[in-house]
Amino acid sequence: MEFSKLLNSSIKLNFILIISFSISVNSFILFPNINNAFYVLFHLTFIYLIFYHYHYYLYVVAMVYGILFDVLLLNYIGAHLITFLSLLIFFILLKKYLIRLSSYQIIFIYFITLIVLLLFEQFLANLINDYKFNVFLIFNFFLISLIIFIPTVFLFNKLDK
Amino acid sequence: MAPKFQIKVFQLSRFIKNFTIISVVTISFLLVFFSKTDYYLVYGIKNISSSVVVPVTRFISAPVNAFSNFVDEYNQFRSLKFENKILQEEITRLKKWQTLAIQNSRENKVLKKLLNATDNNLILIKTASLINRNDTIYSKLINLNAGYEDKIKKNMSAINERGLVGKVIDTTAKNSRVILLTDPNLSISVKSISDGIFSLLTGNGDGKYLVSSFVKENKMPRLGDIVVTSGTAQIFPVDLLVGKVAKVEKNRFFVLPFVDFENIDYLQIVTSK
Repeated sequence: MEFSKLLNSSIKLNFILIISFSISVNSFILFPNINNAFYVLFHLTFIYLIFYHYHYYLYVVAMVYGILFDVLLLNYIGAHLITFLSLLIFFILLKKYLIRLSSYQIIFIYFITLIVLLLFEQFLANLINDYKFNVFLIFNFFLISLIIFIPTVFLFNKLDK
Repeated sequence: MAPKFQIKVFQLSRFIKNFTIISVVTISFLLVFFSKTDYYLVYGIKNISSSVVVPVTRFISAPVNAFSNFVDEYNQFRSLKFENKILQEEITRLKKWQTLAIQNSRENKVLKKLLNATDNNLILIKTASLINRNDTIYSKLINLNAGYEDKIKKNMSAINERGLVGKVIDTTAKNSRVILLTDPNLSISVKSISDGIFSLLTGNGDGKYLVSSFVKENKMPRLGDIVVTSGTAQIFPVDLLVGKVAKVEKNRFFVLPFVDFENIDYLQIVTSK
């Protein structure tokens, strides 16, 4: 019963991943913030999956989405792929410390991880693909993260019951 | 018997787990390396992403797209009367320009014959339509529905009726990818029409203006000057319309492109003769 529950919420979260990925890689000229919001939502969902539904299949998920994000948004493989895999590896290393934290501390770490992830992607894109650091984009991501973070966590909690 | 069996299963799953993690990390490292060297494996991945993944993502994001189109059409409908008035005025103005242009074109032909000059006309490779765009996050890229089967090659120029749009950076059999002028990573060598000042322009990050990254002899063009491709870098054909100088500062200037990047439907892929 417990396993089926876990499987269900995991499937739902993966479904959110697919939808948010699809919307974030198709630009809508009238609503550019939709792309940015779903891009942030993808990262939020992915971190949530790692924190609460860790399984080694996530390495394959990270690889597939990392490659696709890189190819579709940057045309070169690198920034997203390295970021997603690094996050997974860091999680394994820090798992034993994260378990000891309270729920509020976890939420705080969750938000910090999201911001660090988005910054790290920009940094890697700059380092590997010579992509110029876009302050507008980072500021936009930060604002969107602030707005959607709490509702998203609430939604994910509901999904997990 | 039972505990032994359990241990074996545990060991096997642990082996699979470790194997998956190590292979994923190794493959990723190789892909990052091959991506820099344009290895055919990366080319295959790009091919799959543009021919399989893009249509799937378009299908999934269709409701958002439909909503966006609906809002766009509603806005257009609201401004119909106002736009009609502007268009009528523009038609009158363009008719006057047309008469002048025909006269100039005739004069141009006669002068070229007298000078025995060769044309630097463009060769039109293909007119292609836009499939989707990825120009909000990171690079400013668009995908077209024509590829190397239509003789499109890397580094060819993409133009529309208003001027230079960008450069082809990748081609697959049936699709090609164009980087827009407004991308901060694309540099174009340009010259101003009135003074012939040579400079390099790049995207400004805001997606609207182009900013000069290098100006030859630090001579600034005048406000309102028209800027065209210089053809010196051998990538873009010479004399393609780029934009108008919109702002001049001490060490740099800003150009407003002629192309409306928000309304691109069809593009022509061209190369110089």
